[in-house]
Amino acid sequence: MKKLFLTALLASSMLGGAQAATLVFGNNGDPVSLEPGNITDGISLAVQRQIYDTLVDFKDGTTDPTPGLAISWKSNPDATVWTFNLRKNVKFQDGTPFNADAVVFNWTRFWDPKSPYGFRDQGRTYEIMADLLGGFKGDKTAVIKNIVKVDDSTVRFELTGGNSDFPVVIGAGYFGMASPTAIKAQGAKYGTPASTPVGTGPFSFVSWKTGDSVVLKPNMEYWGAKPKVTGLVIRSIKDPSQRLNELKAGTIDFASDLTPDSLNAVKADKNLTAVLKPSFNVGFLSLNNRNKYLANQQVRTAISMAINKKAIAEAFWNGLAVSNASFLPPVMAWANSDAVPADYKYDPAAAKKMLADAGYANGFSLDLWYMPVSRPYFPNPKDIAQAIAADLSAVGIKANLKTEDWAKYLDDRNKEPGFDMYMIGWTGDYGSPDNFYGAYYGANASDDINYNPAQLQSLLEQGRAALTRPGKAKVYAQLHELTYKAAFRIPMAHSQPLAAARTYVKGWVPSPLGSEAFNNIILVGKK
Amino acid sequence: MAPYILRRLWRTLLVLIGISVVVFTFVRSIPGDPATAILGERANPESVARLTKQLGLDKPWFFNPAHPLDAQYPLYVNALLHGDLGAGIKSQIPVRDELRSRFPATAELAIGALFFALLIGLPAGILAALRRNSAWDSLATGLSLVGVSMPIFWLGLLLVWIFAVLLGWLPPSARLSTGVDLQPVTGLYVLDGLLRGQPAASWDALRHLILPAIALGSIPMAIIARITRSSLLEVLGQDYVRTARAKGVAANRVTIRHALRNALLPVVTVVGLQAGALLGGAVLTETIFSWPGLGSWLYDAISLRDYPVIQGGVIFAALIVSVVNLLVDLSYALLDPRIQYR
Repeated sequence: MKKLFLTALLASSMLGGAQAATLVFGNNGDPVSLEPGNITDGISLAVQRQIYDTLVDFKDGTTDPTPGLAISWKSNPDATVWTFNLRKNVKFQDGTPFNADAVVFNWTRFWDPKSPYGFRDQGRTYEIMADLLGGFKGDKTAVIKNIVKVDDSTVRFELTGGNSDFPVVIGAGYFGMASPTAIKAQGAKYGTPASTPVGTGPFSFVSWKTGDSVVLKPNMEYWGAKPKVTGLVIRSIKDPSQRLNELKAGTIDFASDLTPDSLNAVKADKNLTAVLKPSFNVGFLSLNNRNKYLANQQVRTAISMAINKKAIAEAFWNGLAVSNASFLPPVMAWANSDAVPADYKYDPAAAKKMLADAGYANGFSLDLWYMPVSRPYFPNPKDIAQAIAADLSAVGIKANLKTEDWAKYLDDRNKEPGFDMYMIGWTGDYGSPDNFYGAYYGANASDDINYNPAQLQSLLEQGRAALTRPGKAKVYAQLHELTYKAAFRIPMAHSQPLAAARTYVKGWVPSPLGSEAFNNIILVGKK
Repeated sequence: MAPYILRRLWRTLLVLIGISVVVFTFVRSIPGDPATAILGERANPESVARLTKQLGLDKPWFFNPAHPLDAQYPLYVNALLHGDLGAGIKSQIPVRDELRSRFPATAELAIGALFFALLIGLPAGILAALRRNSAWDSLATGLSLVGVSMPIFWLGLLLVWIFAVLLGWLPPSARLSTGVDLQPVTGLYVLDGLLRGQPAASWDALRHLILPAIALGSIPMAIIARITRSSLLEVLGQDYVRTARAKGVAANRVTIRHALRNALLPVVTVVGLQAGALLGGAVLTETIFSWPGLGSWLYDAISLRDYPVIQGGVIFAALIVSVVNLLVDLSYALLDPRIQYR
């Protein structure tokens, strides 16, 4: 009987092969929404990138801008007005023409709280506008002052101040262009599993089974490189070890964000290829100015010197991380200063001496908070925190490890008096240093360490307004020197998220920005 | 019988009202708020304040002195009475729609788990009782000890590793293979496949169900085996069984007709309690097997502080548990003539 059962199982597993040349991606979970502008999570982005295009795109595997739905753009001399020339003869997947009206329609929804199609009365928030573009129409801090249709294929954005990053910011995957017809017809439902999202992208929407998968089909009218697969299924698989299992079992073709310690398992499997994404994140320690010991700059510097970041990156990222770099990921090293090293060198003896000079020869104790969740920038926070604590105890500082639920953690760090010392990180949205520095030192950044000198704010503004790369590099070098000396945020590592694919998957170039279109992927001999 | 059922239903309603107040207060008392959870690493105080206001979470909980009904609980109850459970803060999907798709997934998994638990647990318990102190008995007792003490997530990962990754016999997760197209009828895919005349899809769904059902059924299996064994041993030692034997009724007949029927009463209770618990969603199993049911949904909602989802999900789970308990109590009457309902 048992034998019969197993034979039946075997037979069925042979029969149950997927249809040829359907591409299956293991996503990190279920999307939140397929409505552009109304999400902040990478899981939704991975799906949206297939359905929608943005005005500005990025060259494969880089953060360098390249034409998307706009074929060119230019600004006035002080970068306060940006004009975009749109690609002609592009249609949305429902046949609606893509033109200046469509761009103005989409951006007005994101930016203007009074837009009748923003559905803010139904809980739509477009919070990413506040994160990346300072807020909404009429806000003091908003980057955008006005959006104007010049003619059918030209749109002008008028800004409140000089901003040379503007094109790459609006190229961020959050700001996909959706069909105005579809949004008007589907109303507040748009973007939910019960709706049909419509963009101009390489794949069009078929169905979304919540908690399970999103099914897409190739858009054969696509203006760019047409997809080379017959279908695309994006499965929601939260657990990284589960994604690895699915890869090994061949039930998915490729997946991102495996744990660093899976590298050996991937390499050992002849059916799998390891794919390393360029690093575009930072995991760091934040030291709180409100703590009486940490208010002392010598103490902060000593802490940075006491931690063996290189050894920690080797041990806990399995070598898939760059350490001893600045707050910025390596791709933006051009913005670092030559006057100071990228980061403090590991030197426990010097750290000990510095603590003694500061009057703490006998050490002291403080709390070290670690995150309860795994993120690409800190794959296993607790182990890393223990290693940091061990390094600190070697120079006489006793770190008490603490953690709490993620939502509470994010909440409490901003509540007076905050955490003494805590782990957090950031994954970039677009290729500008401002996206990293601004997120943790900017005017609207979280008030977790009580450090916000006017000089820093002014440098951030100058950096945004500088028009050329050399001009920007000069400003950010000063910012690097200032923050390096202050040593409030200690960069631990820039991780290289591990991705993997079955060997028959060709042409996948992962983007440092976290999501890329799958239209160039070819399946060679997938059964 | 009818007045008893009515009384029980009335009590269930009171319980649900109580639970709604408790869960409403409880979710808002856990530190950390939805706005922060949604914004994640991006959370800055200004954005959090704006989002909180937009979600209507800046209103008083139960009572607003200015406008008595412009508070969160009255608004929630008012919507509830109109059959509206609100929408998930993060997903914007109506909670009612989510329940409709996720409850069948959980139900299918629970049925599969109970089926497995009874299939193994019941015979093991009976065998252990009839062959007391034999090798069979030790085996059954040992099996139940392992079943109870093995952590579900570990067992789940082990099953996936062996049967999906190493042997490739069964799929590692999800409810259907990629490319299998099945339009739900009841939401129980194994059944839907047959109803739609797609036996291949039904078979595919069944293959996806096997591993998670075993993982989830391991604890109920162990409990059922132990209860069956001890309850049957007790019954076999009772006077009426001895009398039947003395009258010369065949041993097998005694066991099956007389002893087993009475010994099964406590087993029914256990199965009922387990069914109630399983139908509330199985967090670990659903997470390990990417099974889109109530458990994984509620787990995510709690970590995101998604108030409407937690409220709707908990109230719904309470309703299911109450109904299952009522059914269990009623089934007693069928099994035990000594029980009277008044």
